[in-house]
Amino acid sequence: MPVDPVSSISSISRLTQPEGAKNAGQVGAAFDDFGSILNNAINTLSQKENTANQAVASLAAGEDIELHQVMIAMQEADISFQLALEVRNKIVDAYQDIMRMQM
Amino acid sequence: MSGIFSAFKITASALTAQRLRMDVISNNVANAETTRTEAGGPYQRQQVVFAAGQVDPGPAPAAASPSRAAEGVRVDEILVDDTPGHRAYDPTHPDADEDGFVTYPNVNIATEMTDMLSATRSYEANVTVFNALKGMVSKALEIGRS
Repeated sequence: MPVDPVSSISSISRLTQPEGAKNAGQVGAAFDDFGSILNNAINTLSQKENTANQAVASLAAGEDIELHQVMIAMQEADISFQLALEVRNKIVDAYQDIMRMQM
Repeated sequence: MSGIFSAFKITASALTAQRLRMDVISNNVANAETTRTEAGGPYQRQQVVFAAGQVDPGPAPAAASPSRAAEGVRVDEILVDDTPGHRAYDPTHPDADEDGFVTYPNVNIATEMTDMLSATRSYEANVTVFNALKGMVSKALEIGRS
């Protein structure tokens, strides 16, 4: 279950700089940070998944790796994924709230 | 997130240590009647010595941060128990001495069994800790969910 690192996520930082917010420089900087935080989080998730995959593969190949280390790697990947899922749910919720806004 | 993952690493170090202890115990039981070793003489019982310490001693030795009290456990060394083994009279045994006595290893099966139970229970306890930790993380992810 490899998760490819999402490289096109940088477009989010462009999304988050609306023209009206240009005078609020600090807010813009904070939004930029959010984009990179998201990017980092996804990279970490991908890394955890890769670690778990490698652990399972080396266990299956009969290499010298402890079973509990494989299980823990899988659990870490699971937790990272759950966190990413929560963040994604939050973002989708926010998006839908905005789309429902009365004009 | 690194905080909770470091807690996992501590548990993993304990699991690894108990697995190594189990290896040593199985070796003792397997060699409970071994009268020949490479060093000569009967097999000598081995035992592990645990030490509190860095989980991975490489990168950052946590420069003066008293908040990081927990660092995990490691097997410091595997000691050889050099108490003499029990002697049994068996003149037909190829390793009997000139008086007809054979020196068997100083492995006591009952001791090894209790050690084995202890290792098993420690392993289970650490798995329980891991599951409790994961339960905490899962609960934390439920924060704000209605």
